[in-house]
Amino acid sequence: MTKSRDRQEDQKQPGHDPSRRKFLKGVGIVGAGAAIADQLWVEAEAEEQRPAPDDIKGRVKVVLDVNGEKRTSQVEPRTTLLNTLRNHLGPAVTGPKLVCDMGTCGACTVLLDGKPVYSCLVLAVDAENKKITTVEGLGSPDKPNAVQAAFVENDALMCGFCTPGFVTTISAYLKKNPNPTLAEVREACKGNFCRCGTYPRVFEAALAAAKASRA
Amino acid sequence: MQQQQPQPQPSPKPKKKIRVPRVVNGVEQMVEIEVDEDTGPGWGPNDKHTLLNHKITRVDGPKKVTGMALYTYDMRLPGMLYGRILRCPHGHARVTKLDTEAASKLPGVKAIIQGPLTELRFAGAPVAAVAATTPEIAGDALRAIKVTYEVLPHVVHATDAIRPDAPKVVAEENNLQEKAKNGDLQKAETAFATADAIVEGEYFSQRVHHACLETHGMVVDYRGGDSASIYASTQGTFTIPGDAAKELGLEQSKVIASVEHMGGGFGSKFGIGIEGMFACRLSKQTKSPVKLMLTRYDEFVMAGNRSGSWQKLKAGVKNDGTIVALTARQYRLGGIGQGSQAGQPYIYRMGDTYREVYALHTNEDSSIAMRAPGHPQASFAIESLVDELAYKIKMDPVAFRKKNLRDEVYHRQLDRGAKEIGWSRRNPVAGGNPGPLKRGMGCAVGTWGGGGNNQCKVDVTILQDGAVYVAVGTQDLGTGTRTYTRAIVAEELGIGMNDVEEHIGNSKLGAANPSGGSTTAPSLSPSVKDAAIKARMMMAERVAPLLGNPKPEEVVFSGGNVSANGRSITWKQAAAALPAAGITSHGVWRADLQARGVHGVSFAEVEVDIETGFIRPIKMVHIQDGGLPLNRLTMESQINGGMIQSLGMAFYEGRVMDAQLGMQLNPGFGDYKLPGSLEMPEMVPIIDDDDKREAVIGIAEGCIIPPLGALVNAVFNATGLRIRDLPITPDKILMGLMNTTVISRG
Ligand code: FES
Ligand code: FES
Repeated sequence: MTKSRDRQEDQKQPGHDPSRRKFLKGVGIVGAGAAIADQLWVEAEAEEQRPAPDDIKGRVKVVLDVNGEKRTSQVEPRTTLLNTLRNHLGPAVTGPKLVCDMGTCGACTVLLDGKPVYSCLVLAVDAENKKITTVEGLGSPDKPNAVQAAFVENDALMCGFCTPGFVTTISAYLKKNPNPTLAEVREACKGNFCRCGTYPRVFEAALAAAKASRA
Repeated sequence: MQQQQPQPQPSPKPKKKIRVPRVVNGVEQMVEIEVDEDTGPGWGPNDKHTLLNHKITRVDGPKKVTGMALYTYDMRLPGMLYGRILRCPHGHARVTKLDTEAASKLPGVKAIIQGPLTELRFAGAPVAAVAATTPEIAGDALRAIKVTYEVLPHVVHATDAIRPDAPKVVAEENNLQEKAKNGDLQKAETAFATADAIVEGEYFSQRVHHACLETHGMVVDYRGGDSASIYASTQGTFTIPGDAAKELGLEQSKVIASVEHMGGGFGSKFGIGIEGMFACRLSKQTKSPVKLMLTRYDEFVMAGNRSGSWQKLKAGVKNDGTIVALTARQYRLGGIGQGSQAGQPYIYRMGDTYREVYALHTNEDSSIAMRAPGHPQASFAIESLVDELAYKIKMDPVAFRKKNLRDEVYHRQLDRGAKEIGWSRRNPVAGGNPGPLKRGMGCAVGTWGGGGNNQCKVDVTILQDGAVYVAVGTQDLGTGTRTYTRAIVAEELGIGMNDVEEHIGNSKLGAANPSGGSTTAPSLSPSVKDAAIKARMMMAERVAPLLGNPKPEEVVFSGGNVSANGRSITWKQAAAALPAAGITSHGVWRADLQARGVHGVSFAEVEVDIETGFIRPIKMVHIQDGGLPLNRLTMESQINGGMIQSLGMAFYEGRVMDAQLGMQLNPGFGDYKLPGSLEMPEMVPIIDDDDKREAVIGIAEGCIIPPLGALVNAVFNATGLRIRDLPITPDKILMGLMNTTVISRG
């Protein structure tokens, strides 16, 4: 199920209630991995048949724990975590990027209780009471974490638009597996796309960061 | 009274005329300009630099890896509205009715405007645009707009569009338009008769997408009044204000464009585009800032694609390896646009040649410039053909290429690449390796211009406290522009990278060319160097009294010190001798600091599973010359990027159009396959240091061209299958194997 198809169906029946689309977004927390995402789109299609309950119209208050700070906003319940971070918090949290908005690229990756998720597939209301860590929370230009430092050192970025996603994914992965092989790093990155072509150096940076963290 | 003697006029500086590339909408055109013949100091030998030609980490790296770099997509202004574009779902249609009533009543919808097109010639053509308080509500509004279309006949496949009875893309016009005929067909036919072997083939290359991760778009900050600010994801800061001013009804000088960081362009981001036009109009109508970034769907269906190609080639070769003739029929597949394709026989000598070039239109959005426009297409076809000729006369493909390439640089690069990939391990019999997992190797050769032009004006300012700024309006696409701009100044002044700050990406700053055709580095770096040299001389004059009055050119700037006559002062002490306001130098372009013409050679090794058709890229090598490498680290990254994008074209990417619906079936990353981490082979980017030119040349395009041919030829060497239809996917391998005896050889 692609977003465009969804869109075209909508166009054919312009009179229908557009807020139904919120269920497509409401597929819960998805681990980084396009395959899983595809699966969930199918499930989401089934969900779509249900009528929209009234209580999800209008705006609701969300309290999010972002990088250790409590952040509050009013959003429509269908608003994704990604769009909430970027469009509704003040000041905005724009490290996670919006690239595909449908769980296929990894640029929006954030950590929910330490686990990488595509924040374009998570509703803000579902992210309450969880620890949200974005790339900004991993380090700063003056105090980068090992992965961030290794990315700069190994030139694992060009335009940099995919970079927050890769950095976040790899930072989480190295916590799980501090001593990965090249093959494991590749596997860990398979949910993230880069168009400029930084992959070889992303792998090098990940391995270098692992080494630096062990030292 | 004494008659005044006529003053001797200062003789005008001697000038010379040169031809330089200028990029219009991403496509290079050559123009003639005048430059001074007498120039200043040069770069010096390539191996004598202290910063340049070293590995310098990106100065914008720390911000980008921590999410602190602000892109256009990240801009959020008070009261900002979000724009979205409604698109035509038909391959060819006219809007007969646009009912926006329901949409305009949705809470949060602030404006709806109709698009400029009366006839929509492709699925995805813009129909209307909305501005709303959130992107979600803007999406609701699109779905609530009721459009009635008069659906017209469409044609989306080139092989259908060429038929005389095909629906017309433009009424009254042939879908097939002749563009050029060169050479002598009669001579070519005569030469074919002298050939020992003839190879004929028909080659298709698909339409691939730029797929910039940051979609096209801009934030227009106009709240009424006589000025506006625009944040644009663009390859040309200075391509924005003019068109935006027209849309907003303002003076061009009152529109400031900025692009601090941008998330990829690859040739697709020049000018404000249709999305920028909508953004300006929506902002003007609502008197509010409007952000209009394309969705990923939008990006696929209308933000650009590389022209497809369909080429029919025929060549004749003698047993000694001499190619005697080539005939080529080249169709440029640019949708409603003209398409692009380099002329055959591309870079080879092929005796008597004849070619016909056509544009063949379909109901698809116009192709636009994409990294080396037209070149990978031509290179893929000719490299496949050349390879086939070599096998046909049983000559080694490397030796065969040398035989038919005049330029010695290719010869040394071919030798180097062959060594690097381990060409001697290659089985000369195509498909000849045992077992179901068959390895093979291939190679290919490419070229590009990469020269600069005289558009960049750079200021270098040194303040009394020692701070140094370099300012120019240019943009950094991820190519490392910021980093080398800073490095050139730091090196010239003998200070560290962190002692210089660059200001770029703003149309208030000095003019700069749009980044297309590998022209940025050769246009910008000479101007930066010129400004830096002038700043150094100005400073040398000021500090001379502290150093025993040396001539300015005798003052040495090195290691954070300024010295002459055996005396030395620190940078800070030297800066303190400057006037209170500091000094500013103005740099202009110098033709002698850049050059034109790059060479690149690629080798590839792949492994093909003939039971499943699955291709595993094993290793890719690309050797690239480029005169003086400004920064080895970013140059290698860019070579990697070229190889990877070429890899995508070889095996993974391609727009799929539905003939019945007239629309793209894979407008998203779920269905359009980009090369990902699992597909990456071992990559070896090699900077050709045997190129001793002390001049800067752009290399971005050079390295995307030949990897494709190398990969395709590696598949042939592995399997014995000559697949002439990109991308080479497993199904094509399996289909091909069914018609050959390769399996039984295993
Ligand atoms: S933006 Fe979320 S996966 Fe692409
Ligand atoms: S660095 Fe540009 S997309 Fe990855």
